[in-house]
Formats: sequence, C-alpha cells, structure tokens
Amino acid sequence: MATCFYFLGKKIFYFENNEPEILLHRLYCHTHFTNAVKCCIVLHCIRYRKWIFNVIESDVQKGKASATALANMKLNIEGLLVYFPYDYIYPEQYSYMLELKRTLDAKGHGVLEMPSGTGKTISLLSLILAYQKAYPLEITKLIYCSRTVPEIEKVVEELRKLIEFHCKETGEANNFLALALSSRKNLCIHPEVSALRIGKEVDGKCHSLTASYIRAQRLSDPSLPSCRFYEGFDAIGRQVPLPPGVYNLDDLKEFGQKKGWCPYFLARQAILHANIVVYSYHYLLDPKIADLVSKELTKKAVVVFDEAHNIDNVCIDSMSVNITRRTLDRCTSNVETLQTTIQRIKETDAAKLKEEYRRLVEGLKEANVARVTDVYLGNPVLPAEVLQEAVPGSIRTAEHFVGFLKRFLEYLKSRLRVHHVVQESAPQFLKDIFQKVCIDRKPLRFCAERLRSLLRTLEISDLTDFSAITLISNFATLVSTYSQGFTIIIEPFEDRTPSIANPVLHFSCMDPSIAIKPVFERFQSVIITSGTLSPLDIYPKILDFRPVTVASFTMTLARTCLCPLIVGRGNDQVALSSKFETREDFAVIRNYGNLLLEMSGVVPDGIVAFFTSYMYMENIVASWYEQGILENIQRNKLIFIETPDAAETSMALEKYQEACENGRGAILLSVARGKVSEGIDFVHHFGRAVIMFGVPYVYTQSRILKARLEYLRDQFQIRENDFLTFDAMRHAAQCVGRVIRGKTDYGLMIFADKRYARADKRGKLPRWIQEHISDGSLNLTVDETVQMSKHFLRQMAQPFRQEDQLGLSLLTIEQLESEEMLKKISQMAHQA
Amino acid sequence: MDEEPERAKRWEGGYERTWEVLKEDEFGSLKATVEEILFQSKRKRALESHGQVRLGMMRHLYVVIDSSRTMEDMDLRPNRLKATLKLMEAFVEEYFDQNPISQVGLITTKNKRAEKLTELAGNPKKHLAALKKARDAACVGEPSLYNSLNLAMQTLKHMPGHTSREIVVIFSSLTTCDPANIYELIKTLKSLKIRVSVIGLSAEVRVCTVLTRETGGTYHVCLDESHFKELLMFHVKPPPANAQSECSLIRMGRCAHVCFSQTLKHSQTHLDSTSEVGLSLGGYFCPQCHAKHTELPVECKICGLTLVSAPHLARSFHHLFPLEAFRETPLEELPADRFCHACQGKLKDKIVFTCPFCSGVFCTECDLFIHDSLHCCPSCINSQHSN
Repeated sequence: MATCFYFLGKKIFYFENNEPEILLHRLYCHTHFTNAVKCCIVLHCIRYRKWIFNVIESDVQKGKASATALANMKLNIEGLLVYFPYDYIYPEQYSYMLELKRTLDAKGHGVLEMPSGTGKTISLLSLILAYQKAYPLEITKLIYCSRTVPEIEKVVEELRKLIEFHCKETGEANNFLALALSSRKNLCIHPEVSALRIGKEVDGKCHSLTASYIRAQRLSDPSLPSCRFYEGFDAIGRQVPLPPGVYNLDDLKEFGQKKGWCPYFLARQAILHANIVVYSYHYLLDPKIADLVSKELTKKAVVVFDEAHNIDNVCIDSMSVNITRRTLDRCTSNVETLQTTIQRIKETDAAKLKEEYRRLVEGLKEANVARVTDVYLGNPVLPAEVLQEAVPGSIRTAEHFVGFLKRFLEYLKSRLRVHHVVQESAPQFLKDIFQKVCIDRKPLRFCAERLRSLLRTLEISDLTDFSAITLISNFATLVSTYSQGFTIIIEPFEDRTPSIANPVLHFSCMDPSIAIKPVFERFQSVIITSGTLSPLDIYPKILDFRPVTVASFTMTLARTCLCPLIVGRGNDQVALSSKFETREDFAVIRNYGNLLLEMSGVVPDGIVAFFTSYMYMENIVASWYEQGILENIQRNKLIFIETPDAAETSMALEKYQEACENGRGAILLSVARGKVSEGIDFVHHFGRAVIMFGVPYVYTQSRILKARLEYLRDQFQIRENDFLTFDAMRHAAQCVGRVIRGKTDYGLMIFADKRYARADKRGKLPRWIQEHISDGSLNLTVDETVQMSKHFLRQMAQPFRQEDQLGLSLLTIEQLESEEMLKKISQMAHQA
Repeated sequence: MDEEPERAKRWEGGYERTWEVLKEDEFGSLKATVEEILFQSKRKRALESHGQVRLGMMRHLYVVIDSSRTMEDMDLRPNRLKATLKLMEAFVEEYFDQNPISQVGLITTKNKRAEKLTELAGNPKKHLAALKKARDAACVGEPSLYNSLNLAMQTLKHMPGHTSREIVVIFSSLTTCDPANIYELIKTLKSLKIRVSVIGLSAEVRVCTVLTRETGGTYHVCLDESHFKELLMFHVKPPPANAQSECSLIRMGRCAHVCFSQTLKHSQTHLDSTSEVGLSLGGYFCPQCHAKHTELPVECKICGLTLVSAPHLARSFHHLFPLEAFRETPLEELPADRFCHACQGKLKDKIVFTCPFCSGVFCTECDLFIHDSLHCCPSCINSQHSN
C-alpha cells in the first residue's frame, strides 16, 4: 500500500512502506513542519511505540529551540572546524568532541561514556564528519553501528540535518554519501517477497530468485520467476554509483522504486564507497554476516559502537551455538535431502560434481585470490591460513562428505543421550570424537566451507531449510579451530524442569574478544560509547584491546533533576535485600510492598519497578496479593506486569502509557534484563520514579556463566565477584537510566537494597548517577525516602525554563568560547 | 487550637532535614538554584502584570477544591484541607476586595463526584460561611477532575462573552477518576475560552500540565504554606483578557446609601432567603426600578441592572493603570543613606528597587507590598503633597 501525505496542498511524502511507526517517524522528522504540526503528529503517534517519544525528546531537550530552524554554530575543536547544527551546545558535548578528536588523532580506540539525552549522536557525527572533510586521506569512512532499526533511522535523521547545515554553511554542494543498511526484510521492494515479513523467509525467497545459478538456468528457461529489481540492478545499477546524499531505509526504497533497482543490493554495493554507513552490530560482529557484508570495507575507517554496554554479550552470542535434539532431527532430514539430490545429479549431470571435486583439490585459495592482495576483515570462523590449504581428501567427494556428516550427527546424538551434565573443553571433545567415530580434526575444520560449496553445486535455492545443517557445520568448524575460549556443556534437562528430558549441547564462547578482535585489528579507530559503561576499565579488559582514550562525562545540570536514593531498611528497621538468604523472608517482602505502596501515593503518573528475575517477581507479587498490599496500591495506581511474552508486554506498555497520560497513574512491574529494561524509555511523566528491587545479579548457578567466570579469572585476572558485580550494576544502571532522558526530564531513582550502599557497588554506577548520591541518601528507611521524594518532586515541579539552563548547562557559541568555560570544560572529562 | 497550628506538635509532622537548608553549594545545585528561580518568578510576575493590556475585569471564577483522601495529609499544617480552607477564606476576601464586580463559586470534589458548595455569586459572606462549614467535612475517596470541570463548565458557558471565565483547581491528589476521556473535555473548555489554572499540593501531574497549557492557565505546585498562599493570591489579580473575547458596554447603576428613619422596607436581596431578617433601616436603591438592596455589588433582582458603588469601580480601575515596575539596582550603586523610603528600615538585600519617577528607593518586601496592595508609589504621592 502506498501512501501519500499532503501538507498545505503540497505533496511531501510518498511511502511504499505501510509500517505506521516508520511512516509517522519520517513524517515527524520532516523539516518543513512547525513544532505545532509535530505535536499533532506526536499525538497520533502515542499509540505507536515509545521510540517516537525519544525522537521528540531528543529535539526538545537538546534545548534546541526549534527543530526546524537550522541555526549556526561553528566550533573550534583544537584547530578543527566543526559545524554544529544547533543554536546551543551542552558543555559535555564539547568535551566529548574534544576527547573524540584526540582519539582520532592518535589513530587509536576509545571508550567514552556520556549520559543518554545529552546529544551523544550529534556530537559524534559532527566531529567525525568535520574530521573527514578536513583530513580526507586520514579517514575515509565512518561505520556507525547501532542496535535497532528505529535507532538507525534516528541516526540517519541527525545526519541529514547535519549535512544540510554543512552545505548551507560552506555553500558547497554535498559530495557525501551516507546510508543506512538493514536486512532484506526492511529493504525489499519486490511485492511478493516483501510481503513475507519474516526475516528468514524473505532471505530465502530472495535467494531463490536471485542466486547466480538460478539466473543462469533462466537463460535457458525464461519461464522461471525472477526479480525485476535485481535484474535491473545487475544490468545497470552495478556500474552507476549512488549519487551523494543521505539515504535512510525509506529513501533507498524510494530510489530503488524510481530506478527499478533492488535497494538491498544497491546498498550493499554502495557501502563500499559510502562515506558514512549506519547499520546493525551484527554486520561487523557476527562472523557469518560480516564475511558477506563488511569484508571489503576500507581500513581507514572509524567504527562507532553506540549503546555498547552489552557489546560483550553480543560478541559471545554471535559465536555460540546451541544444539538440541530438534536441531539434530532437522539435520538428519537435511542430510537425506542432500543425499537424494546428489543421487539425482549424479544420474543427470555427473560432470558438475567432478568439476567441484577438481576445484576442491586445488584448494580454496583460488576462489579467494583477492585475499592475498588486500587485508580483508578476517573471518574468525575460518582463519585465513586454512583457506590456503586444500580440502582434505576424506570429504572431497559429495558422497563422502554426506557420509561424514551422518557420522558426525550420530556422534552428536549419542552425546545428547546423557543423564548427567557434562562439561568439557574443545580438545577433549575432539579427542573423544576421534576415538568414538574416527573423525579427525582437519576435515571438521573444513566442514562449513565444504557444505557451502556443496550447496552451491547442488543448486539448492532455498537455503532457509538448511539452517540446521549449516549450524552444525559451523559448530564443527569452530570446535576444531579454537582450542581456547570455548567450552562445551551438555545438559540433559533444563534447570527449572529437572524432570523433563530436554538435552541441550551448549557450545559456548567465553571470550568476547574473539569475535571483536578482527574489528579492532583492522580498523584504524574503534569508539565504544554508551550512557552506561562504568566501570570503564573493564571493557578494554574483557574485549582485549588497548584504548587511547577512556573518559566519562557527566551531565551539567542547572537543577539536580535526578535523585538517586538508596533504601536499606524498612520502617521496622528490617534490612532490605534481595540476597538469596532473605529472598523468602516475609518481613523483607512486606517492606518492599510497603515501599511501593508509599511511593505510589507520592509519585505522580508513572512508576517503573524492576525485579531481579521473573521468578522473584512472581513470588513477591503473589505474596503482596495475600497480604492485601496489592489492593492498597491499586487504590493509588493501576498495576501492569511485564511477562516473557512480547505481545502481552507491549499491550501492557501501551495501557501503562495511556494510564500515565490521562492522570490515572500506573505502575509497571518489570524485570531487569527484560525487554523493558533495555531500549524502552520512560520519558517525563511515563516514568517519574524507578524502583530497583534488589541487585540484578545474573543467575549464578548457570554452568555457562560459571565456565565464563572461570575463564575470565584465568585469562584476564578478573575476579568472579568483580565481574558479577559489574554485570549486575550495569543492568541496574540501565534500568534506572530509563527515567532520565534529558535535561528537562526529572525522576527518582530508588535502589531498594542495602547492598547498594557499599562502596564496591556504588562505585560501579556511572559517574553521572554516582555524583548525585550523597552520604545522606544512603541506607534510608522507607519513611525517609518518602519524605525526600516528596520534597524532590515539589522542587522539580517548579517552573523551569530554557533561560534557566542557559549559561550553566546550555551554552551559546559566545559563552562556550569564554575563557572561564573552556577551563571548566577541560576539567570535566574524567580520565579513568 | 486552629489558630496556632503551625508551631504546635512538631512530632506530628514529617521527617525533616532542616540542616540541609543551610547547605552551601557553589555548583548551582538544588537548594540555591530553586530558590533563585522562585525569586526570579516572583519578580517576573510583578513585571509581567504591568503594561497596558486588556484585562478581564468582570470575572467569573470557579474554585475547585479537592476534598479527596489525600487532603488529610499533614504536610501542610494542620492538614491539607484545613490549610486550604483557611487560605481560601483569605483568598475570597482579597478577591472581592480587588475585584468587586466579579463573582466566585466553589466546588468540591470527592468520592469520584463533584458538588457545588456555592453558586457563582458576588457576595463574600455566603462563600465564607460555606468554607467554614466545609471544615468539618470528611475527606474520602478520589477526586474527579472531569466531573468538577464539567460542573463548572455548565455554568460558566452561559456567562456573557465579555467577562472572563476561569476555573482554579486546588488539586491535592495525584490521580483523577474520570468517567470519560478528559482530553475531549479539555478541547471543549478551550473552545469555550475557559481558562483553567491548577495549584498542585503534592507533585506535577501530567494531565494538569496539559490541561493548563491547552486552556492558557498556569500550573504551579506549592512547596509549603507560604508558597501556597503566594500561588493562591496570584489568582486575585485579573488575568489579561484574550484577544478574541467580545467587548460590550455594560449598563451599571450607581447608587448611594440612603438612610430611612420612618419606614422599614423589605430588601429585595432577602426576598429569597428565609433565614435572615429582611428588614433594615438603610439600603441602596436601584436607580432604575427603586428596588432596595442591602448590599452592593449586586445584580438587581427586579430589573437585572448591575448595581455598584463608586469605590467598587475605583478599586477595579487600578488594574488598568498599574504602577510601573521599579528598577532593580544593586545596593553598591546607592549613595550614602541606605534606608527604604517606605518602611524606613535599613537596606540589607543585594538588590534594591527604585521608582522610575521619583527615584525613591525601596527594599524587596516593600516593593512587593507597593505593587501587590498599594498600587501607588508612596514616595511619589509624598512629593506631590509637598509641591
């Protein structure tokens, strides 16, 4: 469905896309609108997701009086002329740019922490853009990695504003190419394929239309279906570079529509010569995708990982494999399909298999000539030296390889038939497999590559069916390649349901540096940045790199708009804690309930409460119900609960926001590490207070975690407790950080556990939260907390205008250049 | 006991951190800045109200008083309800003092309902009596913003277009229990040009923010009793009329007090009230129909003419010719004698105020008093006399 938007009789938009949030977002970001119109759009948006609020927030709070007017600010950052597309700048933005510039000068890596809502993205973009313009030979590309599609869109919109401003100021025509890249699901414009909506299906269908042999077949048989967009791209688009400009996903689609070219392949081609690329983490970190997409990116690039506080987990996830019985069953059927196909081809077209055999004898190097001539992004799955060798003889012929796979599968099946937990290292596993089924290490290593070659030869178009066997072959390659940093754990059942047999083989990566290493090695500068990265020194340790700058910035505030309080005791002096021993304690649960009850009577609109786990939440809520606390709370506010079910949660969220909006008031009970705690913002009245019940330690009995902790201790000398506390505190910081999304926002942060008062916990909170925790707000009772909250909320409700901020936490260019301010700023960056 | 509630029973009050008031901070954090901001807004209010703007002089104001459960909270002494009612009495008096030709009505809301305490009327006595009575009422249930606004709107929408229509809500609760979507009601209020202001007693509530922003009112949250009083008294001054409101000439009857010695005559004002004795010696006669009224200002019950006395008009008048704001000057610039020309006290504040006409110097307190109550510069009048 295509949609046009008319505004004042002018056609301003054309959408092929019918996803309402993207549509409304684009509409919102349109520069011709006045703020009043935007407000209308916002009201319409309210029912669609929170992130639209974020966008609005980012405009309003940056103190940028109007989002539409392109005001001027030219900054001099240690001799570099930076164009900043807003009237005002926060002092911390300035010092952020300063640090960033130094990192780029040193051609090194950096770790930078700055609170959310202080304009991190625009500072990053404007500095790097200026750097690129000033020293085109030093840095040729910016690779900006973000987490979600809405975030990517947001970055592109900022970029558009920046480049527009840049062109206006310099009077030059824009010669910059900036684009966003996402999966086929978000970029496909083929009417049938894009209708599928599920990532894997879209990929598979696209592949079945555009794979090279399919297209070769079509030469002889034109009746086969084809994708006209890909054909168009292949015929003309490959030679014609994308004209300079800023392209978000919709722009790419629009461009593709107009020219009749496939936007996805166009974008993939264009990122090679684009100046700025915005895409998801996975395109760099996941070895399977990185190899396809990011292999040929230039070395002289700056890579930015935004919202990177969880980057180690992303790295680990991209390298880990979990195998269940179901996977193996699907593998078996895959292998059977392979076998029958081989049989068929053998009868009809034996030459093809021979040809493949010949190729394999010569080794993989022929196919990878380019690797010698240029430094490519190394594929951590398959080290470069492997590619030099020939595929071992035992798996060269197709039948042998299938036999090999069968044996391997049988072996795995036998391993899954265990009754107790097994944990072993990769060498142990290899030794065992050699003894049991005589599979050597070498053929295992080539398994992934050999399978890919076979699938290509067999001309199997729909690769989605073969995901199981691909997974297994990847596992084979990984397990035989890396002797360190991985562990194999076979569990006969899940911990929660010890009676139901559900064997899983976890091949788990314990070292996040394996996945990210090629990135650090290859690119000139890698910047890791987020709102919560404290303690800063742990990231370089666990990711194993040497940063040149490590800095944490705080929010300069005209009024103290955040109020962290640590509640350690109930009114009856019972210590509050979620630690294991007191988990079931009636008194603690009652006091927690009392805290929530009291807070619900003082805090207006929305309260978000976080528990350490779903199980803990269930227990507590049930207990509150029995004690009648829940009923009392409901007299003050409505209660919504997050569940593991995504649809239910988003429904709860929607209703929660509605209740906050119309003055009914609501409480959202959710879970740290859940969907709500990551990526959903509670701006202004959607979150006036956040209560963290307990310290969100990860489930420590998990064997994978234990193995990882052990590894960290042995390899990086990080003590278990340090890592666990770090991990718990970063999640706590993420949770409480949900309420403050800018300087005009305000919110209470209540840490309800006496352990937060200890220096080792408190010291691991981000600096911008830490500096507002005074000694007077440690170990409070519930009553004291209520009094302080009341006082704080009254103070914050006093009128607060932009002029109050000006000069203190919001600067004009004149103020910025004043001697005094520069001195203050230079003191600000906290060298860790 | 009600007379001295502030100082009595400290132990009943909340947990206070009095030592923190004394905290020194040079980094522009909480205490100092918020107070600074408050002082600024106090000044700003004085400045803003000056200049030649059209004011809605004939006001129709409904005050909605929240009487829900939360009004029993004791953070205002002795509790929120009593403190509010006490201040309201002062407000009603002050209001009629400053706006003699305006009217006020009272609404309370509790238990999800709203009821009228008094109808719109220009007589302070009735309101004061109602307020006294309301002291003993219990605070129960939840308030309903929707119902109370709706109730006020039903009356206000029939008021003539040249008068101002206002609602002031004193809102203590953090929640409201509404029978329908309040945003629709806000739209209606806006189209009827009813201005809604809110004084919050606990914290900033989103729906009030939107309500006041949309209807052009103000939203404040009180910090303590004195701040509460300040916020309430702010509504004594007539607000600027909005540009679209109609203009019309109003016929008014000016009547003088006439004393009779021979005959007692029934006053028309008392015809409908049975409780009071309707006979008096003196009274005011409507110039049109000669009906007798004991009190002014009033709308003649017989012919509907608005009856006022000369002082009433004069008192309304000063809003139109406000005293100009005094210049702020730092104390250092002042020559030798540093005494306030009004209270004769020694000037201690860093900033003093100078009258632009007679260059009289005043302290902050006197400046506020002159602008809020006196409406003329004492130093100027003094010099006129001497001339």
